[in-house]
Amino acid sequence: MSHTLPIDPFKIWQDIYNKTENAWSDAIQDTLGKESFSEGLGQTLNSYLQYQEFVTKTAEAYLTQFNMPSRDEVANVASLVINTENKIDHLEDQLEQLAEENTKEINSLKRTISNLDKKLDRVLAEIEKNEKAGATAKKK
Amino acid sequence: MIYSSWKEVDNWVDKMPDEYKSSYNRLKRFSEVLTTEPEPLVGQTPKEVIWTKNKSKLYRYQPAIKKTNKVPILMVYALINKPYILDLSPGNSLIEHLTNQGHDVYLLDWGTAGYEDRHMKLEDYIMDYIPRATKKVLQTSNAKELSVLGYCMGGTMTSIFAALHPELPIRNLIFMTSPFDFSDAGHYTNWLDKRYFNLDKLVDTMGNISPEFIDFGNKLLNPIQNFYGPYVSLAERADNENFVEGWKLMQKWLKDGIPFPGESYRQWIGEFYQENKLINDELYVRGRQVKLSEIKANVLNIAASRDNIALPHQVEALNDKISSKNKTFHLLETGHVSVTVGRTAINETYPLIDEWLVEHSK
Repeated sequence: MSHTLPIDPFKIWQDIYNKTENAWSDAIQDTLGKESFSEGLGQTLNSYLQYQEFVTKTAEAYLTQFNMPSRDEVANVASLVINTENKIDHLEDQLEQLAEENTKEINSLKRTISNLDKKLDRVLAEIEKNEKAGATAKKK
Repeated sequence: MIYSSWKEVDNWVDKMPDEYKSSYNRLKRFSEVLTTEPEPLVGQTPKEVIWTKNKSKLYRYQPAIKKTNKVPILMVYALINKPYILDLSPGNSLIEHLTNQGHDVYLLDWGTAGYEDRHMKLEDYIMDYIPRATKKVLQTSNAKELSVLGYCMGGTMTSIFAALHPELPIRNLIFMTSPFDFSDAGHYTNWLDKRYFNLDKLVDTMGNISPEFIDFGNKLLNPIQNFYGPYVSLAERADNENFVEGWKLMQKWLKDGIPFPGESYRQWIGEFYQENKLINDELYVRGRQVKLSEIKANVLNIAASRDNIALPHQVEALNDKISSKNKTFHLLETGHVSVTVGRTAINETYPLIDEWLVEHSK
């Protein structure tokens, strides 16, 4: 017993697709790879761009006439905001770098002071030792 | 009115034999998916924004989850996609998988370029965004080294970034279906031929290149399969809910591109597709020569055998140029999108990346 409708539109569609795909795939790939296809594609693109350019210029002229900002002008304002943000980024970078350098400098100072502290301790210990030696000599 | 008519049809079909009912239900489901169903939810792995610049954001995924892998990973995807392509849906997300395995995952979201961004060049993204994001990742994760994963065009950009920044502690590089050699890019090589393809006129007229234009080009590579194939598959398997979910996600991905900033497109097509400068050491970025041989990090380079956007030989070419001692080329038996979505992705790509990262992060 069949598991599909006697006339199943899905099945018909699928069969058409499979047959078309198998039969035409190589031919289509050959066509897509031809230089003439690239040339045609390029010509189509050029015509579209020509149309697009016309539409853009017409829209701009219309907006200027009605004293309204064009897409370029709105984008320019956005660019100004982005530039300001970039400057803040740059400042943030510099602050981070400064903070890093400061930390390094402070750590280096800490090490120097610690070394000095140790040297001072040794000097004090020597003085104390000398004083004790002096006192012992006096007693004798 | 329509509802009651459908109800009547349903009641009528209920009285028919099972095999008829099944065909009817498939037809009904097919039309529902195409006309009334909402788009699937994507990008659901919890994340926080740790840095922003212009429209870009840097995300850290599930910051609360324990990160057992000490080397964080930064992901960079193509300028023409949306960030959720690497985090599609729960159970179908590379980011979710890696995060759950204890990796500290970051993603650089490019945002959607506006008309004001039409002058942005590839080098602006490569020199101003990726290095800064890298530093933020290192600061946030408190790590000494990091891994960078580049997907598709994002991988090509990552290779340039890595070659120009030897001072940054990049331990591992993963490239997923990223083209490096453009000498034979399939049909694109003919279509983008300088003699026919008026690149400058296109960019000057359009400003940014629309996602529909890019999508049309990609679909034209295999027109019958790409334009009609998905609908035939849906009609055939509309009664399989798992398939329908996957189908909807894939379609959302394919139809949900973003504008390609004009100057970046001019560079991408002109210097890469038309002049093939990268692999030949002829590419200059802000006056600096890009030599892929400067790359010394561990490299995992993944290609897909049925990919007609980044052909396997275009991807593999990188391995001969880099100086890395540890480099692997891995070919998956799948297509460009299926590398990150679907069964092959879940069973092969995700574990491959996870295991490779763990092994190279000790």
